[in-house]
Amino acid sequence: MVQAILVFTYMINKKCLVAVAFLHLALSGFLFAGQEIKNSSFPLTYFQLENGLTIILSEDYSLPVISVMVAYKVGSINEQPGKTGLSYLLENLMFQGSRNVGRMQHISFIQRIGGTLSARTDREKTLFFQTVSSNQMAIVLWLEADRMKSLSISYTRVEQAKKAIIEEMKQKKSHNLFQNSSLLFDKLLFSDYIYYHPIIGEESDIRNISLKDVLDFHSTYYRPNNAVICITGNIDKQKTIYLIRKYFQSIPAGKPVPAINDSSQTPELTSKTESITNSLASTPGFFLGYRISPPYSRDYYTMSVIEYLLLKGESSRLYQRLAKKERTAQKIEGGIIKIKNRAIFSFFVTSTNNYTRNRSKKALLSELNKLKSNIVSEPELTKAKNLLKTAYIKRYATSLGKAFFLIETFLNNKDMQTFQDELNKYLEVTPTRIIGIANRYFNDKSILVNIEIK
Amino acid sequence: MKSRHFIPLLIILFLNPILLSQERFRKYPPNPEPLPSLKLPEIESWTLSNGLKISVIRLTKIPVISLQLIIFSGESTSPDSLPGLATITSKMLNRGSLNLSFSEIEKTIDLIGGEFSVQTFPDYTVFSLFFLEEYLDTALKLLSQMLLQPTFPRQEIENVKRNMFYDLAHKRNNPEYAGKKLLYQILFKDHTYRKIFFNDDIIKKYSLKNIQMFFNKFYCPNNAHLVLVGNLNLSTASRKVSSYLNTWKKQNIEIYHFPPPKPLEKTKICFINIPGLKDALIFSGSSLPPKTDPEYFSLIVLNQVLGGTPMNRLFMNLRESKGIAYWAFSEMEFYKSCGIFYIRARVRPDVIHSSVLESLNEIRRISAQRIPGHEIEQAKSYLIGNFPLAIQRYDELASRLSEIKALNLNEGHWNKYYEKIMYIDSQIVFKSAYNNLLNPPIIVIVGDQDNIIDELLKFKTVEVYNNSGKYLYQLTKEQ
Repeated sequence: MVQAILVFTYMINKKCLVAVAFLHLALSGFLFAGQEIKNSSFPLTYFQLENGLTIILSEDYSLPVISVMVAYKVGSINEQPGKTGLSYLLENLMFQGSRNVGRMQHISFIQRIGGTLSARTDREKTLFFQTVSSNQMAIVLWLEADRMKSLSISYTRVEQAKKAIIEEMKQKKSHNLFQNSSLLFDKLLFSDYIYYHPIIGEESDIRNISLKDVLDFHSTYYRPNNAVICITGNIDKQKTIYLIRKYFQSIPAGKPVPAINDSSQTPELTSKTESITNSLASTPGFFLGYRISPPYSRDYYTMSVIEYLLLKGESSRLYQRLAKKERTAQKIEGGIIKIKNRAIFSFFVTSTNNYTRNRSKKALLSELNKLKSNIVSEPELTKAKNLLKTAYIKRYATSLGKAFFLIETFLNNKDMQTFQDELNKYLEVTPTRIIGIANRYFNDKSILVNIEIK
Repeated sequence: MKSRHFIPLLIILFLNPILLSQERFRKYPPNPEPLPSLKLPEIESWTLSNGLKISVIRLTKIPVISLQLIIFSGESTSPDSLPGLATITSKMLNRGSLNLSFSEIEKTIDLIGGEFSVQTFPDYTVFSLFFLEEYLDTALKLLSQMLLQPTFPRQEIENVKRNMFYDLAHKRNNPEYAGKKLLYQILFKDHTYRKIFFNDDIIKKYSLKNIQMFFNKFYCPNNAHLVLVGNLNLSTASRKVSSYLNTWKKQNIEIYHFPPPKPLEKTKICFINIPGLKDALIFSGSSLPPKTDPEYFSLIVLNQVLGGTPMNRLFMNLRESKGIAYWAFSEMEFYKSCGIFYIRARVRPDVIHSSVLESLNEIRRISAQRIPGHEIEQAKSYLIGNFPLAIQRYDELASRLSEIKALNLNEGHWNKYYEKIMYIDSQIVFKSAYNNLLNPPIIVIVGDQDNIIDELLKFKTVEVYNNSGKYLYQLTKEQ
């Protein structure tokens, strides 16, 4: 109807066109009024435009600052064997210019106004985010809309991006001393190739990526119907909604996004031990991993508390035993890794020599056994939960942190109405549940990768 | 005929009816809205009978509290013969008290969902504790135990010394660290700020006796200020702080005033040899007035124009236009008695000499020719836009307040920041550049001597130092 009015207007009087276009925006916007969420510790509105673009807004007037985050639901998991690295390459291309924005100009526009910006690609999503003074929202939306609508993808730009990524790959290899062993560990943990190949891609795949590959990947995933925009901070909600519609509403939706090609059922993990010689590192170590229940299940929340008991804080069990008491470990890291509906509990330990490495392994396993048989004291459990609570709260302490938090919440299909009760799911974990869950998941079906040095 | 022309047009319009009108606004970047007002939260203050000052900022956004205890003594008050004593003393505070061992202190910090850290600055020291708001009493009790009954266990002194030693050993061959260290060492040769950087050979001299001596001399309530940010008001804070810290004894405290360092009479070129370094680093520095000086705001605008970000003069000239540097920036750091201005650049080893000359040219240019208005406005826009971004977290806000208290800064560093920056114009910046940037600089070059000897010999004389800052010999053209 509105379209008909427009054409009619064009035929009568060209000068009226702009005015009627805004009428169109206003009317169609009315059809998609936002949903305001009450009962939340911070205000939240979310809605979808006609083209499928999801919008999440959250106001906070404490400082004249806003963050804008655009998430595309695409990551390394959407790549096929032989075509790895496409999502990371697209992240790079998103800074190489669009129809009205020159190469790297997106960065200089934001930096010139004192803002900060960055981007991140992981297995499941690609995020672009900026934090600026609140009076500068329009320029951020203008920039994001321009690259969403009209990204410049040419043979030259693709080749430049490929070159830059291959260079970055070399840098990463020399800096990340345990990259090879970590990749082997991921391979054993996640048997599906799409889950474990490196996010940056395989070098040979990147070299073979063609312009057509990039164009196909881009037209499939970098469309408004596969994206979410989150704006947090000092915003005037009505004005923000107006600007979002102005810049994003006319960007055409893409075709429905294809489903991920993985095995429908999570394969059972079978116990495996492998060794790998690391020519770069000067210290031996090991990776140890267990499959745990899917993200945001009841058991998952208990496992998260176990993560804090074992690994977080100066007084955590493993840090105290391996680094302070027995002093057999140099580095102790680990925790839960989650990709889609799969979750892993992993440990990574390095030691000065093979003897201390083996002692560290023994001590770690004995700590896991202790967790399976001895009840955790209330003060220790409170300590773990309090550390978890601080970390959880700190996630939304800044406008950018809050944007990350809300995008994560949305993309993990959590209920936007009740997600703020989630913290209680961690805090409700009891000592008896911990024993039960530790027994269920820290079982003999583990993946162990021993890192040997030359 | 006419209607036939209309058909394709109609199709296009039906397919994307608002495309034409949208292209206009997509073509050019939109203008910003008017500058928002900056209303930072109110600071309430009180002084306890023992002289301990308390400042509270009430915020209710998240249920945590950020506590910072400032001791108005930093590395500049370490004895001349024992630089680093202020640092090790501050690192020892959480290592054991009369009733709590180090591991029990760590456990308590974890229990309150907390994070503890210490930073020793040239003029002051800050202890930061971040915790869940329901544990205010536990946090204050812990702080009082650390401050009132520290035991400085010998074993822990050795552990802290070992950590400091490894930390310095790790940094020694870092070209950025070595270059900046030598710059400070020469610029503050006869000034107390030279103690900001010290060598690992001094670490063995720290003992229980001198740590205790430093602690007893400077850690007293009338030389301290407690900052609290979170959901609490001044009366609750004062009452609680008083109940845990009122027995902290007031004592006579010596107030130190250090004059700024004397400027150099002529330019000095120094070199640090780090074998294996592929590129070269250049530092060029001189002193500035302190942060309390009214010129501070024009100086930071000036710095922004010269080299605050990759869009500014140094980067654009040395990297984008001449292609001789990987990056080139200018920095300003401010302390209580003075500030420091320096250029830092990573350059190709074959163009060190021309990079130095080009950097000095940029300083001369900015001090001799008035900066065009658009460059000034761009720099101001950056500074104003960036200011609130760095005070979003409670601990960031607390740190800003701690700095204000420690360096005696005024409202211009808080609510009046936008006004102060807006007031700056080309003429004011020009005056600041002329007054402050024309002193002869110290130039420090870091690189692999074998690769860059030809470049070094292009300078008249170069003083050669090792990576610990020890003078070795002089290199002259004649050699």
